[in-house]
Amino acid sequence: MTVNQLKQFITRLFIFKEPPPKEDFILHGAVGIRSIVPQRREEEKGKKKKRLKKKPLPIARASSPAKGGAATDDPGEADPEGQDGQNGKNRPDRPYTDMLVSPELEVNKERIKQIYSLPKNKDIILREFVIQLDRPVKAFAAYIEGISDRGTINENILRPLMSVCKPEMQSGSVNLAEYLKDSVIYGNQVDLHEKYKDIIPLVNYGCTVLFIDSAPAALVVETKGWDHRSIGKPETEQVIRGPHEAFNETLRSNTGLLRKAIRNTDLITEFIKIGTRNQTDVALMYLENVANPKLVAEVKRRISSISTDYVGETGILEQFIEDHPLMPLPQVLATERPDRTASFIMDGKVAILLDGNPNVLIVPADLFSLLHSPEDYYLRLPYGNLVRLMRVIAVFISLITPAFYVSIAIFHQEMIPTDLILAIAAGRETVPFPTIVEVFFMEFAFEMIREAGVRVPGVIGNTLGIVGALILGQAAVQAGIVSPILIIVVALTGLASFAIPNYSMSFAFRGVRFVFTALAAAFGFPGITAGLFVLLSGITAMKSFGVPFMVPIGPRTRSGPDIVMRGPVWSMEERPDFLDTQERRRQPQISRGWVKKKAQEPNGGGRNQ
Amino acid sequence: MEVVAINRQDRILKLGYSEAVAIAMVYIGAKVFLGYPRFLVEMGLNAAWLVVIIGAGVSMLFWLVVVSLLSRFPGKSILSISMIVLGPVLGLIVNLTVLFYLIASSSNLLRLFSDSIIITALPEAPISSLVLLFGVIMLLAAYLGLEALSRNAYISLPFVTAGVLAVLFSLYPFWETKNLLPLLGPGPLDVMINGFLNCSAFGEVMVLGILAPYFSFDKKMLRNIGIFSITLVGFGFLAITLVYLMVLPVPAALEHLAPFYQLSRSIFWGRYYQRLESVFILFWTYTAFLRLSLGLLVVALASKDIFRLPYYRPLLPALIIIFYSLALTPDNLVTAIAIEKDRLLYSWVITLLLPAVLTLIAVLRKKEEKGG
Repeated sequence: MTVNQLKQFITRLFIFKEPPPKEDFILHGAVGIRSIVPQRREEEKGKKKKRLKKKPLPIARASSPAKGGAATDDPGEADPEGQDGQNGKNRPDRPYTDMLVSPELEVNKERIKQIYSLPKNKDIILREFVIQLDRPVKAFAAYIEGISDRGTINENILRPLMSVCKPEMQSGSVNLAEYLKDSVIYGNQVDLHEKYKDIIPLVNYGCTVLFIDSAPAALVVETKGWDHRSIGKPETEQVIRGPHEAFNETLRSNTGLLRKAIRNTDLITEFIKIGTRNQTDVALMYLENVANPKLVAEVKRRISSISTDYVGETGILEQFIEDHPLMPLPQVLATERPDRTASFIMDGKVAILLDGNPNVLIVPADLFSLLHSPEDYYLRLPYGNLVRLMRVIAVFISLITPAFYVSIAIFHQEMIPTDLILAIAAGRETVPFPTIVEVFFMEFAFEMIREAGVRVPGVIGNTLGIVGALILGQAAVQAGIVSPILIIVVALTGLASFAIPNYSMSFAFRGVRFVFTALAAAFGFPGITAGLFVLLSGITAMKSFGVPFMVPIGPRTRSGPDIVMRGPVWSMEERPDFLDTQERRRQPQISRGWVKKKAQEPNGGGRNQ
Repeated sequence: MEVVAINRQDRILKLGYSEAVAIAMVYIGAKVFLGYPRFLVEMGLNAAWLVVIIGAGVSMLFWLVVVSLLSRFPGKSILSISMIVLGPVLGLIVNLTVLFYLIASSSNLLRLFSDSIIITALPEAPISSLVLLFGVIMLLAAYLGLEALSRNAYISLPFVTAGVLAVLFSLYPFWETKNLLPLLGPGPLDVMINGFLNCSAFGEVMVLGILAPYFSFDKKMLRNIGIFSITLVGFGFLAITLVYLMVLPVPAALEHLAPFYQLSRSIFWGRYYQRLESVFILFWTYTAFLRLSLGLLVVALASKDIFRLPYYRPLLPALIIIFYSLALTPDNLVTAIAIEKDRLLYSWVITLLLPAVLTLIAVLRKKEEKGG
């Protein structure tokens, strides 16, 4: 071994050297990024000062609309350039942005092929045919297989165009497209478009575009048609009494369900597109003469300000528009029930529907509406209130039962009756772990059973629940790992958490109870109080779309008898004050006309009063 | 309800009258869970309840004077008014004295509440751990702001009141009205003098004057709120003192460090329910968290006002360290109780007399501002 070889050997021992690539595939993009990054940083440094000068957008819905069109009635139209720029609609990855429909058919065909990467992309169908006029005119239709209805295309577009023969119609002018639109094509929605940027999103959403030789505009026919789930039962908001319809994944079905429920001309459905690449449709539904226009403007402002690639679920949209992303409690109410959504819209709230989602977001949300269930109103007053009372108790049980158990077992044994403390002590005699370890172990096991039950297929899920809950619990007790009373505590807590009607809320309380348990293990009852105090302070500091989360009690606002408990439906005369609706009154002071009638009668009315 | 303005730091906060009453009640009333009832018995013996009534009446009179000062300067806090009336130098000295009093009183309360928890619930816990727990919670709550705390106070006050009433009425079998005799306790003169000094207990109503810029209502409403708060808290003190005297004879009543806890210990609901005092700990510790957080926040807002700072939040970490240090400064609980006793005897000079003097000077110097 020469000296050089020895030096190389020693060097190799101490200095790391990237091994030569053995894979066939090398991600060139990543290498490219590395070389670009320093250059970008330089550029960003230059821009940084300018960015810092920009003032952050105000969150207020009462703010002045002057700056950036922030609070205008229609943000989509208020600042189309700025917004498009933000959302990337004019980015160079869209080569068709500035293209116009050419009068030459071949040019259009080439453009379509280019835009959709034909013939590589097999979803796009180009159908060439000849329109039978005094002089046959060449044309082609383009649509996406799978989201367009073949029957509609065959029967309403191709058949009339290929069989029509109107010698009086002169071909070769722009009027040809107009004529076909007005007199030949049977489609229920047909539009003429000259710009590709208007045509392509429609084709992407199931429409068929029709290019005609020598016509400088294309016809776009509505032919949407894809396989979808029919309207089914609600999965997470089931009721015994009340409608059993739920939203599905089709936006138009969902808007239709709401329109069916609210047969009112003031029910407005506005559409906003979000997502740079996907352009998902978001529908806002509200009652124009009831909902606060500032609230509607704020909802539109928040949604249209979202600048991202793709928003595929209402859960993601919710995270984009909520006020306090780090707080455990949700600030937007998600529901899958049309009846519930309709009732919120009637109250003056705004419903946000996202295409492809069976959940509708309701804003603004308050704590109490998140704890209500639609069945509370459908049941008679005493039953409805009984259910609500049980739910309130369930909230406290799910929050503090394990913490209470830990406090009592560790710090406040004296407050338990002697017989009970002896029973607990006997149960814990064989348990080798401290109480807090035991509680965390069982709570974690319970959460694991719940999570596993959701993830595994339905049939196994039920079995898993039984195996987890019964056998594991029993075995853990017999093995002396946990005490029997803790099984009761954990089961009670789990049961209570499932009694909370809102899914997100249930999650929030389940998560917070771990903090409470830890506080109880450290400080006993004062620790629990500390947790409750911080939780309530946090909740009272929260807002949902400008409305304090604890209304109508923190801050105190005027409200009907529907907070924790509810009054009779006929006494709920006014809409909630905090919504600041245009029409405050929901029903007259005496909404039961028959009572009024009887009262006015000179004889016999008194008995019924 | 009109929702306005919303920028986290810059917004103009406006509280309603319910929240204002809740703040004042918690600020004044929280000490009843410490040694205050015992202190009342020390001052008035069997006539401790009369001491409460006289003290409440005197503080109301002072409050009326203070409101007349606040009315002369609409939208201004009592600290800002002091600067206007006394000038920048003297005003600053007076304001710093008030600030020192606010810090000292709240940090001593922090010590007392921590010690009360040790006495009642966690005998093994080191005092520093409890002061730390309170400190962290105070910091979090004060950071969330006056709006959150005032709403929290408003929402939780009915539950705390229900807890207090539950304790008082659960002791009904032990009420011994004969313990209230002799009616005038140590004699009318002593009762009158001690009753007057007891106005210090209600002097904390001055917090409404410090927070005046944050209220949405006019000065007439502020006057009513002050009187309403003093009356309600006065009734609370009266009820607890009466029950305390009726349940425990005067010699025994003078011994307990935490009279309310002693009352809850005396509850007997049968053999199955025993030692219920732990449950009632939840109510009074909640009030303690509220009072101490409000104490920190008021100090922060007062500092912001005095030093004309744009924000109060950056002050909180520094203030909480001061609170923590001052709370642990007294050698032991007895020293802390002695400080609190002095505060209860003489704090009226700062909280009530000083604003009254300010009013007098403002009238003499014809200082007044229009609008607001």
